[in-house]
Amino acid sequence: MKPHTVSPKSRAIPAHGETLQMKTLLSILLTLAVSPAIASAADLTIYTYDSFASEWGPGPRVEAAFESRCGCDIELVGLADGVALLNRLKIEGSGSDADIVLGLDTNLTAEARATGLFRDHGIDTDSLTLPIDWTDSKFLPYDFGYFAFVYNTEKLSSPPKSLKALVEDTDGPTVIIQDPRTSTPGLGLLLWFRHVFGDDAATAWGQLAPRIVTVTKGWSEAYGMFLKNEAPMVLSYTTSPAYHQIAEQNSRFAAARFDEGHYLQVEVAGMLESSNNPTLAREFLRFMLDETFQEIIPTSNWMYPAALPESKLPQEFNALIDPQPVQFFDDETVAANRRAWIDEWLEALSR
Amino acid sequence: MSPSGGIGVVLACVVVILALAPLVALTGYGGTFPDTGIFADPYLARVLRFSLLQASLSTLLSVLPAILVARALARRPNLPARRLVLGLLGVPLVVPSIVVVLGVVSVFGADGWLPLGRRLYGLTGILIAHVFFNLPLAARLLLPSLEQIPSAQRRLAHQLGFNSWQYWRHIEWPALRGALPGTALLIFMLCLTSFAVVLTLGGGPRSTTLEVAIYQSLRFDFNPPRAVSLALMQLGLCAMLAMLSVRLTRHREVEGDSGGARHFDRTLGSNTGWARLADGTAIGTALALVAGVLTAIVVDGANTTMISVLNRPEVLDSLFTSLFIALIAAAMATLCGWLILTSSTRFAAGGREWLGNTLEGIATIVYVVPPLVIGTGYFLMLHRLVDLDRLTVPVVIAVNALMGLPFVIRSLAAPMRQRAAEYGRLCTSLKICGWQRFVLVDFPLLRRPLGLAAALAAALSFGDLGVVALFASNEQSTLPLLLYRYLSAYRVNEAAVVGLLLLGSCLMLFVLVERVLGGPRHAGH
Repeated sequence: MKPHTVSPKSRAIPAHGETLQMKTLLSILLTLAVSPAIASAADLTIYTYDSFASEWGPGPRVEAAFESRCGCDIELVGLADGVALLNRLKIEGSGSDADIVLGLDTNLTAEARATGLFRDHGIDTDSLTLPIDWTDSKFLPYDFGYFAFVYNTEKLSSPPKSLKALVEDTDGPTVIIQDPRTSTPGLGLLLWFRHVFGDDAATAWGQLAPRIVTVTKGWSEAYGMFLKNEAPMVLSYTTSPAYHQIAEQNSRFAAARFDEGHYLQVEVAGMLESSNNPTLAREFLRFMLDETFQEIIPTSNWMYPAALPESKLPQEFNALIDPQPVQFFDDETVAANRRAWIDEWLEALSR
Repeated sequence: MSPSGGIGVVLACVVVILALAPLVALTGYGGTFPDTGIFADPYLARVLRFSLLQASLSTLLSVLPAILVARALARRPNLPARRLVLGLLGVPLVVPSIVVVLGVVSVFGADGWLPLGRRLYGLTGILIAHVFFNLPLAARLLLPSLEQIPSAQRRLAHQLGFNSWQYWRHIEWPALRGALPGTALLIFMLCLTSFAVVLTLGGGPRSTTLEVAIYQSLRFDFNPPRAVSLALMQLGLCAMLAMLSVRLTRHREVEGDSGGARHFDRTLGSNTGWARLADGTAIGTALALVAGVLTAIVVDGANTTMISVLNRPEVLDSLFTSLFIALIAAAMATLCGWLILTSSTRFAAGGREWLGNTLEGIATIVYVVPPLVIGTGYFLMLHRLVDLDRLTVPVVIAVNALMGLPFVIRSLAAPMRQRAAEYGRLCTSLKICGWQRFVLVDFPLLRRPLGLAAALAAALSFGDLGVVALFASNEQSTLPLLLYRYLSAYRVNEAAVVGLLLLGSCLMLFVLVERVLGGPRHAGH
């Protein structure tokens, strides 16, 4: 225990330059910390999902267009996804700051309606171009899409022609899908199976099981692995190839058209009972079906706009597969059966 | 020596309250609590079995090779680029799971460098990814114990002409034994709570962990009491293992200097050709595994969009936010861990080793309370009082500090006990205590493990997605969040660049923190 055991180390301080750099860095960080974005007292607060609000999503352009029209200030609050939106509302109840919630889909609307937090939108739905009749008085659609298996045309020359063929052909292509417990497309595929196979869905899952490479937590993992050629097909949307064509000028990817038709997902918005500014909220919902808003959707949210004639779509969208006949369960059916159907899926794939 | 360790006990209580209060808040929200149905659910029984199996195997496959790697690194203090090697071993911790999954696919996937085909999906894939995360971590956590071997012992071993096996049996193994159970426990907890890796590389719902069930019941079913019941089940399980680890922990009671002739050549006695080959193989294999996946990430990231991505203001903003969160969280975790350990060390020195070990165990197992559960609980408690969206960054920092605590405890526990055994009585007899003792004795002697502790906590926080913020908006985006945003907008190349930036900046952060706190060079060499 000699004193000199201490001294050599205590001299081991960083060189001056380093200390200085560290100080500069810290001071920059501290400045960032004490000047948080001041929450603006906006006239209209809209809860939406992150990819809608992000700068390459529709959010910024929608915000600018509406603000110049109404001469007001709107704020988009981006949460993780549709499920997070609903849970946030359940936590906040009638004390929510939001006037509008934009980004729920038709698998969540039954539960959202049951919270009693939403007000009738009171907007004429004649201009909607949805493939189904729309009678919901609380929720108004802004876009929609269809689930499909997307494939790489260079790897797969003749994709299955139907969901039945995909399931039954034991030499068929392998697929990557998402987990219905954690992902929206995963739940969509589950509903698609139920629609096509009815009570035989469990058997169909069992038949497909050997060709499911993996089941991912979310869409991003599945699509990323597909792009790395882990499987020739991935569960995605009929509109995915349009992204590659428009943004990357790449026509390698296509969606496989299935004879049974494709499962529909509709994304909706609704205004809250607790809104302090219902007139402006309703004005925004009306604007949502306006051509200005609708034309922003295809190339930023990569979905079909809910109220835009086909002639106004980008031409790449008109070249996409025809998803008819539409497969769709109403939201009450989904809410009533979701649990049992997920358990059935778990059972079939855990064997 | 003062027998009181009040401050550490108080802090440990604060930590427990911080972690458990949100659970209490959630139990009153709809549903029934406790949800005793979870004990009779065959699905959950299967999930529990699988969770335990994969976590046990992952721990075994990470810790056993890590012993060899740590031993090799301790015996080769003059290894070329040693600091870089040590920095690289700290990097996997930071990599977001989605990037690791894609990296593993690049190496072992159908089009990979070492294609495993469909065999990858299942236990194999899970184990590969978990070993990638945890073998390097375990090696880093075990290394300080070996480096603290007093030089007198080494000299004696040399004089007695110990061979490699005798050196291991009589010198290295006793030194390692104190750190082993705690390290294994930490890695077990990391693997038990693994989520995206298990789902994605597991190949299907057969591979499901309790964490998935918790996520499902909190998000899709919004049944907070059930989520809390499951979280408590996970906590109880880890508490039992922690008790086991406390029983197994035997800190060596050695008095004597360990700094004096530090430059004494540690490689003496293990410098035969075989020993060199063995050490080289251990380090090389670990590096190859880490480097394989890391190289894949670098190759993916070095694409044509790189320059434009790095010039985007949102990327720089996210980098700064991530750095800011990581540094504050690491400072909080390190300070808190240090104070808790000061107390636990005192208890141990005062003959109450079990109390000290328990204190450390408690501060460790809060890790398995899922951040999503903590975050939801806090938002539920606080949403009437404050604007939730302004709470995001503070809550992320607090939760990251909490999650970093076990890493701090594990890196510092063994060295601190060792130092206390060596210098405790001297300090008491010279009446050096408190701040004076910290400046004169503890900091100079413990700055290296302290640097490691802070660097690990910072890296962990740097790579965290901030899942606690699922309910709030993230105006101040972090790098991992930005990566997910790019991916969900089809921008795979941009996401890969962010992945590379994440890696690069973490490596720099790690080396910098270790250097500033731990001293500029490897002490004594």
